[in-house]
Amino acid sequence: MTAFAPNDPAADAACVIAFRDITKRFGAITALSGVSFAGYRGTVHAITGENGAGKSTLMKLLAGVFTPESGEILLGGKAVRFGGALGARAAGIATVFQELTLLPNLTVAENLFLGREPRRFGLIDGRAMRERAQAVLDRVGIALDADVICGDLVIAEQHLVEIAKGAVADADIVIYDEPTAALDGPGVEKLARLIAQQKQDGKLIFYISHRLDEIFRLCDTTTILKDGKHVTTRPTRELTRDDLVSLMVGRELGHLFPRRNPRPRRQDPALSVSDFTAERGRPPVSFAVLRGEIVGLAGLEGHGQREILRAVAGLIAADGGRAQKYDASGKVTPLSPAVVATARAGLGLIPEDRKLEGLYQPLSIAQNIALGMLRRAPMASRARIDQDRIRALMGEMNIRARDASQIVASLSGGNQQKVMIGRWLASGVDVLLVEEPTRGVDVGAKAEIYRLLREFADHGGAVLITSSELTEHIGLCDRILVVHDGALVAELAGEDADEETIMRHALMGRPAAAAVS
Amino acid sequence: MTRHKKRLFGRSGLGVIAIGLPAAMFLLLSLGTPDFFSARNIANVNSQITALLIVALGQLIVALIGGIDISVGSVISLTSVVLASLSASVAVPVALILAALVGLGNGLGVAVFGVHPLIMTLASMIFVQGFALLIMSAAGGTVPPLLIALAKTNIAGLPAGFFWCVSALAIVAVLLHKTAFGLRLFAIGANAQSAALSGVGVRAPRLACYMLCSLAGAIAGVYLTGRIASGDPTMGEPFGLNSVTAIALGGVQLSGGVGSVIGVVLGTITLGLISNGMNLVGVSPFFSAALTGLLLLGAVSLQRRKAIGI
Repeated sequence: MTAFAPNDPAADAACVIAFRDITKRFGAITALSGVSFAGYRGTVHAITGENGAGKSTLMKLLAGVFTPESGEILLGGKAVRFGGALGARAAGIATVFQELTLLPNLTVAENLFLGREPRRFGLIDGRAMRERAQAVLDRVGIALDADVICGDLVIAEQHLVEIAKGAVADADIVIYDEPTAALDGPGVEKLARLIAQQKQDGKLIFYISHRLDEIFRLCDTTTILKDGKHVTTRPTRELTRDDLVSLMVGRELGHLFPRRNPRPRRQDPALSVSDFTAERGRPPVSFAVLRGEIVGLAGLEGHGQREILRAVAGLIAADGGRAQKYDASGKVTPLSPAVVATARAGLGLIPEDRKLEGLYQPLSIAQNIALGMLRRAPMASRARIDQDRIRALMGEMNIRARDASQIVASLSGGNQQKVMIGRWLASGVDVLLVEEPTRGVDVGAKAEIYRLLREFADHGGAVLITSSELTEHIGLCDRILVVHDGALVAELAGEDADEETIMRHALMGRPAAAAVS
Repeated sequence: MTRHKKRLFGRSGLGVIAIGLPAAMFLLLSLGTPDFFSARNIANVNSQITALLIVALGQLIVALIGGIDISVGSVISLTSVVLASLSASVAVPVALILAALVGLGNGLGVAVFGVHPLIMTLASMIFVQGFALLIMSAAGGTVPPLLIALAKTNIAGLPAGFFWCVSALAIVAVLLHKTAFGLRLFAIGANAQSAALSGVGVRAPRLACYMLCSLAGAIAGVYLTGRIASGDPTMGEPFGLNSVTAIALGGVQLSGGVGSVIGVVLGTITLGLISNGMNLVGVSPFFSAALTGLLLLGAVSLQRRKAIGI
């Protein structure tokens, strides 16, 4: 234990990097606060935690993408401050990003050496670049020609090339940010071999992941973050799977959430989805949302819950299966993959990114809400806007604004979200699909948004949410469907659910699910 | 490993249309019009094409990073009036410096202050054109004899324009296809954010692109002014948009990241042959302009038929 928490890690020769009291804020949200730990030469160091725990933010600080508000990063004992990705690169820190950063119009070799092209007489030495790239590909075991244009590769191959970037870089610290999200089995094996090799070369490897198998298999040390705070840094062998889960979770519910209704007496569905495949390659899912019910799709990021919701909303075309909407009288409308059609059928989507996909920022509250009233109006009709209804809605929802003509961009996140909900209330839809209901919303407004959603359900509506906050599922939802690798692995009643159970299902998928049900 | 057939032309944007169009045009004109191969006509075509080619190469550099520069025509005009009104010893350096300043302004506006390239260069086009007319309100003035000689003397039977073209092509080809700067332009044009994550600076290359484009305009201006042996404050007017047409015909994608020097040569020849050919056949220049518009739309659509689904 002492080797992992010495008083002054920077004084230890094997210590490559030390974080000291790192704090990073984005606007009102604190992504990291007071994080301190150290990383050592020749180790593979896992950084793990729930969604939004601050894993990626921390590594982006190290990669020079962000700079911390306070605290310092010690590299080989000296405090460093990188001016952008270029500076971190020069200091010997390489990152393999979660998202693809390959340029589709460049060859594999050019992508691997972009920014550090081998030169001869001031010109690019094309042959040296190709040969060195080919050597790296061969060493990692990637059967690709270095001369191929990256845009011609399939996604899995592109991810392999992305990983090869970590091998090209002449770096002391290599960061892998959720590297296996898009890799198949053999791809993961290649990555494991590469990491073992880099470890032997005395590099420090940071491995961001919430896949327990990989953490236990690859990593010597594990750091757990929770809500932007450092929980622990320990040798992985001292941890069990259960330890990991319970260290990642644990949060007070507080008094944010409205009381649930007793289970709805009527069991008529408002929305049903059967054998539904949101994305090619994912298992089909079936579920229904009843009137009066709030259902949550819980899971770790990248496991497909977002895609399921978006496919129901018609934003992405489902690969197979059927989604149906039932109106109050029981009439069935099949849902087609077009947002306009689903909105006309009575489904309202509240997207995660309000600014980009939801609200018209430069327009007024009234205009943003009025749009909902025109849901079924033909294009050439006169826009009849009921201003009294808008004012009444604003009052009911407690939107804090000067008046209905205030510009949406000038509202707080919470009030913007209320406007978004208001649009659908005005439009008379009876199913709401809500992504991250309270992202970027302050605590006070959170409670009001939960209340609005609950009232919507109590008045016969149905709500389906996705959220990366487990407490939100537990506090708000009547039923929680846990998604793992695109499959529904567990169904939990909201009132009985706890974070640890959800997390266990979300992390481990099927086997544990069978034990519960 | 053999599954991927290596793309013949990579990111050049060259395709059947970019190559076939000038070839077909050439064939039709040589069969259909006896005057086409006359020495006078070839010389005529050449001088029209030389200036357009130089400007289009500048436009290519800007297009690779996803930009556009329509002010380059005004830079030609400005160069022309500067050459015709200053003394021979300072005229060329002053013209080049002014052009670089225009490019610097465009680059700062786009790369640093985030102005849309079309608006930024539209503004500087209007500004520079006005400035040129202020210096000299009508064609005239005297051009240094050396410049006239540089633009008109035939060497070994080849017209001077040929050497201007070859030098410009060689410089830009090496710059784009052999230097790290060139590779990074392709990277920035494809996805500036990814390029930045790979440790490539984005701002300075962008700025440099606009300066290079303006300099290309100035060089075309030197050639044209020498060629007609007098200053003309509106000489460059058609070049701003024609250079965009030429590169688009040559398979350069204005969204950035795709294009080649060869494509620009082919596009320029196509555009030159359209106007010259129509002229020889006796078609009204207005009709030929209308046809050019249709041809541009058709050619670009066919090059992007995967994207538009035909």
